[in-house]
Amino acid sequence: MKETENIFLSMINQHKAIIHKIAKMYMNNTDDQQDLFQEIVMQLWKAYPTFKGNSKFSTWMYRVALNTALVYFKKDNRKVDKTPLNENIDINESELKEEKLSYLYKAVQELNAVEKALIFLFLENQSHREIAENLGISEVNARVKLNRTKEKLQLIVKKNGYEF
Amino acid sequence: MNFDDLKNEWNAEEAETNISADMLKIKQAHTPIDIIRKKMKHEFFYQVFFLAIMAFLPTVTAFSATTKMAYLACFAITCGFTAYYFFKFYKFYKNSYDMSMDSRKSILWFYYEMKLNIELYKALTYIVAFISVTFGAIYILVEQTSYIPKILANLSPVYILLNCFISILIIGAITELWAWYYYGKYLKRVKKVVDELDYE
Repeated sequence: MKETENIFLSMINQHKAIIHKIAKMYMNNTDDQQDLFQEIVMQLWKAYPTFKGNSKFSTWMYRVALNTALVYFKKDNRKVDKTPLNENIDINESELKEEKLSYLYKAVQELNAVEKALIFLFLENQSHREIAENLGISEVNARVKLNRTKEKLQLIVKKNGYEF
Repeated sequence: MNFDDLKNEWNAEEAETNISADMLKIKQAHTPIDIIRKKMKHEFFYQVFFLAIMAFLPTVTAFSATTKMAYLACFAITCGFTAYYFFKFYKFYKNSYDMSMDSRKSILWFYYEMKLNIELYKALTYIVAFISVTFGAIYILVEQTSYIPKILANLSPVYILLNCFISILIIGAITELWAWYYYGKYLKRVKKVVDELDYE
């Protein structure tokens, strides 16, 4: 058991950025992100016995992590962060990269769970076919949905007065 | 908004948190699926507790030999149906951890399996209610022979039938409401995700 746990921890730590990004995409405050992060880790651990090695660990991890995030809901008593996009983020030239991602994470909060999944998989460099396979929809539907979601995201960013 | 630039920055982002063994033991229940699983577990313990209490009932009551036999028969049938239901529930509970299929299949599988189990749960409630009523009737006819026939003689058959019908309706309503309160509202959230995936 201990050995299995160590193997699992070593593999999951190699790909922890996936969970980290999903948590930030799906939750808009640090506490909720932390909760979702832990939830995904726990789901992965519980589902680990079902991982037969037929696919890459990262592929399996994408699916379990994303499926967990898709049906996750935040604690009801926690306040939703309604800070506008153009506030609360330091505009600092040296931190331009982080700034862009911060705006992205804030903007995606206005998308629904499936749209977040589409943007996440797109940013993870997945093709339309791979996105379709992961979400269980047709390739055409994945392309249409992704294009619509990208347009929606552009509008959200524009509406909030930030362009990048 | 340049998505290609964004992709580069996205790919360069690293996670700071290191995942330790402690994180594998934290008990969380923030997904409808997890909450349903947790409730299934609770339900099992309540049912075992209820059956254990029921097993000792004949020892603290003054049932006649005939009523005791009828009680034990009803109890055995209840245990049989409950065991069958929980065996089905347990299989579903174990399989529900495999979420490695594509999102639509995973969530849809859970949704329909859960719906099926809720229907089984309702059926079990009706069966247990029916067995309880049967035992109640046996008890009244065997143990309360002195005054029950007199009471029944004073009531019209329509009144008795109406009472039976209303009782069945109340049991049905309570079962439906309980299933909705306990599982249904979480299942609705799961269905919402499938609908979003299906929406074109």
